[in-house]
Amino acid sequence: MTDRIQAMRQFQWEHKHHTARTFLPEDLHLRYRDNALPDYARTALRLEQALETEEPYFFPQELIAFTRTVPNLPRIYDEEEWSAITKEHYIHELGNVSNLSPDYGTVIAEGLASLRDKLTDSDYHRAMRRSIDAVLHLTSRYEEAARAKGLTEIADTLAQVPAYSPRTFREALQSLRILHYAMWCEGDYHNTLGRFDQYMLPYLKADLAAGRETEESAFELLEAFFLSCNRDSDLYPGMQQGDNGQSMVLGGMLPDGSDGFNILSEWCLKASGELRLIDPKINLRVNSKTPLSVYEKGTRLTKLGLGFPQYENDDVAIPGLMALGYEEGDARSYVMAACWEFIIPGKAMDIVNIGALPFANVVDKVLHEQLQKLHSMKELKAAIRQEIFAEVRRILEERRNLYVIPSPYLSLFFEGCLEKEKDISLGCKYNNWGLHGTGVAPAADMLAAVDQVIFREGTSAEELLQAMDADFVGYEPLHDRLKYHCPKAGNDDDQADEYLSWLLNTFADAVEGLHNERGGIIRAGTGSAMFYIFHAQELGATADGREAGVPLPANYSPSLNIRLNGPVSLIKSFSKPDLKRTINGGPLTIEFSESVFSQDEAITKVAQLVQLFILRGGHQLQLNTVNRERLLDAQKHPENYRNLIVRVWGWSGYFVELDKCYQDHIIRRAELLLS
Amino acid sequence: MTGTVFDIKEFAVFDGPGIRTTVFLKGCPLRCQWCHNPEGLSPKPQLMVSSASCVHCGACSRVCKHPDNCIACGVCVPYCRLGLRKIAGTIWTAEALAERLQRDADVYQMSGGGVTFSGGEPLMQWDFVSEVISRLKGINTAIETSGYTNDEIFRQAMGTLDLIMMDWKVSDPEKHRYYTGVDQAPIRRHAEMLAAGETPFILRMPIIPGVNDTEEHFQTAAEIVKDAKTLLRIDILPYQRAAGAKYSMVGRDYSPEFDEAVPPRYFLNVFDDAGIPYKVFR
Repeated sequence: MTDRIQAMRQFQWEHKHHTARTFLPEDLHLRYRDNALPDYARTALRLEQALETEEPYFFPQELIAFTRTVPNLPRIYDEEEWSAITKEHYIHELGNVSNLSPDYGTVIAEGLASLRDKLTDSDYHRAMRRSIDAVLHLTSRYEEAARAKGLTEIADTLAQVPAYSPRTFREALQSLRILHYAMWCEGDYHNTLGRFDQYMLPYLKADLAAGRETEESAFELLEAFFLSCNRDSDLYPGMQQGDNGQSMVLGGMLPDGSDGFNILSEWCLKASGELRLIDPKINLRVNSKTPLSVYEKGTRLTKLGLGFPQYENDDVAIPGLMALGYEEGDARSYVMAACWEFIIPGKAMDIVNIGALPFANVVDKVLHEQLQKLHSMKELKAAIRQEIFAEVRRILEERRNLYVIPSPYLSLFFEGCLEKEKDISLGCKYNNWGLHGTGVAPAADMLAAVDQVIFREGTSAEELLQAMDADFVGYEPLHDRLKYHCPKAGNDDDQADEYLSWLLNTFADAVEGLHNERGGIIRAGTGSAMFYIFHAQELGATADGREAGVPLPANYSPSLNIRLNGPVSLIKSFSKPDLKRTINGGPLTIEFSESVFSQDEAITKVAQLVQLFILRGGHQLQLNTVNRERLLDAQKHPENYRNLIVRVWGWSGYFVELDKCYQDHIIRRAELLLS
Repeated sequence: MTGTVFDIKEFAVFDGPGIRTTVFLKGCPLRCQWCHNPEGLSPKPQLMVSSASCVHCGACSRVCKHPDNCIACGVCVPYCRLGLRKIAGTIWTAEALAERLQRDADVYQMSGGGVTFSGGEPLMQWDFVSEVISRLKGINTAIETSGYTNDEIFRQAMGTLDLIMMDWKVSDPEKHRYYTGVDQAPIRRHAEMLAAGETPFILRMPIIPGVNDTEEHFQTAAEIVKDAKTLLRIDILPYQRAAGAKYSMVGRDYSPEFDEAVPPRYFLNVFDDAGIPYKVFR
């Protein structure tokens, strides 16, 4: 890290740039209503007003400009209008376009001026033009301000991009910064940086070949760009700060089938490790041909405890996506939609998190309602299968007549939106919906426990249900049996792992053949997002011996209160299901004590462990390095731990900024850690 | 044949090359003052209680049938709501243990790893260990031993295992007996057998402040291995202050006669000068 980057990082860390912030008036929507503007025109007008209110702001020693000075975005509807809309429509999350991956590469290369030339005089194109003009006008104001301050290089860069095609790596990074910045100002959120190492590589290579930049100076620019992703983090909407979808995906198979891991992929891993910030979030695509050295590079980053990188397996994801109807070239281009949901850049208006199937709750419900009448596991499985099918349909039934607030600016980054004058909010090439699946491991453990205790050992259903209702008080020996002497998913025990596979397959069966109102299909997944908190609150004590109040594990991970054999068994268990069928996404998470890494050779061993998961057909893996004592101390003395970064469910955040329930969950996970 | 095992640890990163699973065998003839596995000392299964978090609810006492003489029956274990009680020590048949270990043979092979037998003192249950090894197919095996056993068993171990990691604890014979409770002579003899033999080995030196952090100790170790053809390296293992953590759980006092707070001294120049490879585990 150069002194300059160090200084900028410190300046930003101390929030010195926050002093330049001013708020937009909250009553902006009144103007739209009075003029009876259509929704897309309102979005464009608001973007214009937001960017007009922005004031150029430069960090000391600035390299990549653009910093938010307007913290808030007023709504484009007033309360009355919005409540009329919500009465008639299903609204997803905040209502904006979110969790997509814009095709930054094409827009950067083409330039906004060239896109502007393609626009007609139609109302929708006028909204697109207004958006482009707003971005270019703010860029001009930045350029003037830069010249006035003597920042000639910045001014010259801004004279070129994002209007025109970048001639250098620096211009390309600056263009991306502006384009991404304006997206947030349009009200869109969690839209990812995608395959940054692919679309940026030509600019870097050309600069290095021509000697315009040295490796050191180009790397400094990359780090300056990474820093810029953290400047406005506190302004992004999200469940918790850090949950903002600014993820990038490195390496992996290219559309032509060749391997994409390159010098820039490697630099991104290095920059993330040097800067130790929560953004951008790093994903690493791997496959059976990936050499161990790449895993080792990833593991060096894991060691630092940022929760990066998350691994994705091409060998599972690509055929899985193709089986869902994605074209081969598109499937090979997959990235992460914010956390870990698979999505295609520039082509998908998939809503990857439209709902969540609560596996543990479904199994628990069937046990409570039907166990006493059932005579075999076969009957129990039939009842659960029926309930999973019913629950999936119930979830989808509630999601009818979707309305998404239009985004004419973001639509510039998606295939066909400009040509067809169709806003991205209305759909794109792919319009699929994804369902998470929470608590699948505890659900499998419940089935394994019932199989053993009820159907093999002869405990009565009444006794089990009474024990659960009593939170096992007075039923200690049974509790011990359920919790410690029944098979558990994660211990490489087929008795439990077969239920894990069966539950996931049943979920995949349940969505097969279903369509949403946009003609898209439904994708089953293994993620949880924040649902693991909600779904656990609805449960009492469960048949796997889990006491009431114990949280469910996040994503595709083992139960939190069991004894695990270790990471080898864990990886073997969780790579048994055919994960191609549940490729909406959701990683296995493994926590390591930081003491594991005290010897350098441990890097290779952990890398081999990751490779094992990939070779055995795992889809996604995320490793954390934690120190439980430090987490506990950070709860008591947050002032000493402002830097402490932890992985939450699909993103990393600053531990001390999380709500206590998330902090507690991370501490509980750390109790299972492998040292 | 059966053996008593107090832990099976997957992905034991400090117990040899590659991805390894370590089997901890229960029972040890030594009583080293710095031992951090007190549950490995007794050869029998025993009750372990984490009393620090105990709220004295009395649930365990109410079900106890042997209040004056614990027989490790485990009846009380499920009644502790906080999960503070457990039985250390499980009886395994050689067949079952070999099957459990064989399951991950593919992982050991891809990573250049294998299985490590540790303890306690694994050679105390050598018949069981060798029976387990004879049932393993295509798995690299290693052992962590004090070297305190008879010559015949040590010779058999050298002929059976792929790697021997043996401790060289204290060079001065008098101090050795004082701090470990046993005679040094067989250990010295076995270290010399290793040095003269064909089996790849690592000599491990726990460095305890005020006990063996002397130049003479490093020189003696160098002397023993200086002509060894199969020495991989010497491991320097500095004293860990957490060593006493588990003593109260097995009802023992931890009262070492050395000052835990003093950082141990190293004389690595001795190995540098003699051209002996080594590694320090800090």
